[in-house]
Amino acid sequence: MIVTHELRKSFPAQRKLFRPAGPATDAVDGLSLSIPPGAVTGLLGLNGAGKTTTIKVLATLLRPTSGSVTVDGLDVVDHAREIRRRINLIAGGERMVYARLTGRENLWYFGQLYDVPRAVLGTRIDELLELVGLTDAAGTLVERYSRGMRQRLSIARGLINAPAYLLLDEPTLGLDAPIARDLRAVVANLARDGVGVLLTSHYLAEVEQLCGHVYVVDHGRLVAEGSPTALTAGTRLPHTVELTLAEHAPAVSAAVAALGAEFEVGVDTEERPTFLLRSPEDLAGELATAVVRAGGAIVRLEVNPPTLEDAILAMAGTPTSVAAR
Amino acid sequence: MATALPTLRRNWLVTMRAYQWTYFVGTLATGILTVGLAYLAFHAIGGGRAGGGFAAAAGTADYLGYVTVGAAASMFTVRMVLWVAKAQITEQREGTLESQVLAPARRLPYLVGVGLQALTTTVVEVVVMLAFAIMIGVRLPAPDPVTLLAAFVAASVAVFGISVPLSAIMISVGEAHITQNTLFVAMGLLCGFTFPPAYLPDPLRWLGEALPVTSALRALRAATLDHAPLSVAAPDLLLCLALGLAYLAVGLRLLGPAERIAIQRGGSA
Repeated sequence: MIVTHELRKSFPAQRKLFRPAGPATDAVDGLSLSIPPGAVTGLLGLNGAGKTTTIKVLATLLRPTSGSVTVDGLDVVDHAREIRRRINLIAGGERMVYARLTGRENLWYFGQLYDVPRAVLGTRIDELLELVGLTDAAGTLVERYSRGMRQRLSIARGLINAPAYLLLDEPTLGLDAPIARDLRAVVANLARDGVGVLLTSHYLAEVEQLCGHVYVVDHGRLVAEGSPTALTAGTRLPHTVELTLAEHAPAVSAAVAALGAEFEVGVDTEERPTFLLRSPEDLAGELATAVVRAGGAIVRLEVNPPTLEDAILAMAGTPTSVAAR
Repeated sequence: MATALPTLRRNWLVTMRAYQWTYFVGTLATGILTVGLAYLAFHAIGGGRAGGGFAAAAGTADYLGYVTVGAAASMFTVRMVLWVAKAQITEQREGTLESQVLAPARRLPYLVGVGLQALTTTVVEVVVMLAFAIMIGVRLPAPDPVTLLAAFVAASVAVFGISVPLSAIMISVGEAHITQNTLFVAMGLLCGFTFPPAYLPDPLRWLGEALPVTSALRALRAATLDHAPLSVAAPDLLLCLALGLAYLAVGLRLLGPAERIAIQRGGSA
């Protein structure tokens, strides 16, 4: 298991000639989290929340300013080399591979850097190329790859050492939808096979789909954690129910008001009456029953539960899409 | 060697794909011009004779031989430093530094792989330059092969050694040109490539002695111009090796923190 305890990472201010240096910046400020094997754990926050810095510390690329980080009980500072054998990092964007090598040569070289046994390296390279859909382009120089192809090769590079823990920093950035979907399937399978995965992504539907547990950070601090469902419920953001009637029915407004929820009345583009209801609970059933009993003829009923994105934005103090609806 | 040989192969592939053969014309120009201009000056201005104090300061009266060995050593040093010292900053610029640092491979074998590839390329360039010198009439006496081999090995260790801390400086400041050219200017002045360091004031001579290239150059000249046996060149060889290994040890100590500074700064150099 990867465990951080009170992790803090500060960056000293840039010194300028003839000007005093400013205060240090705390990119990560007292973060404690656990990434178990065999599960996908999410790390979410807005830009500048400290996600990438956290991942770089976990990956041994940066050292913590204070606090501790252990991987299977090994400290990231004292046992960096041993930890590097057990982990890998896939970051969004097409870099991290050599442009003047072919896809196969890149994987061969990184396999050597990870000391992958010669007996398994060839097979593993073939499997990874197949996995990311680059078998036909294996002999092509990476400089001729599209952005998506480079990112797919970068994913294969991240799996070359069969890591016990995989750190994914925006892994589907720039990928076409089918490839991103395939990658999500790969990540889910890896977790099923016992790999511990830490995922950051701006595509929150991806996080909701994959992660059993999510940490939410803001300005380097942990502000919430839990399952995506629990996080969304915990914010008490309203469900919205949009209802359209075939024609005006005088008793309906009173029936809706009797439900005790906040609502707005309007008309749609065809001049039909509409109701927009907001409530911490899903009142769609009660609303439909009340409207029908009041003589209303429902032509459309749409329920919008709060999403993880709404919850994250609410935790970060940003007006949510729900509030805007 | 698990990392060195793959890195050697990787660099060969990249070099063959990245550079056309005409690129090497440029790399040869400095050495060829140094020898060619020295040849012209020696015959057109000096009338085929070096100044009276030269033999005493240089330890040989063979001015053209002195300059030719110096130019070959200078070319070897500059090319090797450019390959080895810039390896990490090139990774940084191409966006592969993080993926390389992320791997458990150690830095020394990685740099040895880069150095071995650089050695093969650079030796070919130096041989071509020496062929030019012979073609225009420079005559080098037959060297002592054992001393020459020992001096070549010591010079390789020395140049490799000074390249590693330079690499750390380059990636930590995110800059290569000022760093490398400062070293090249200092070596050109202090190490005795084209004139005897005896002409320099004492403090500059002492500074030159702190660079292992100075003693490597003395050993190379002893092997090639004086046909000196190994025992005569041994003090310079040992000094050169000791200094080279000391620079290497300091460089390896600095590389880890330098890599973290580079990664912390992020982006490309």
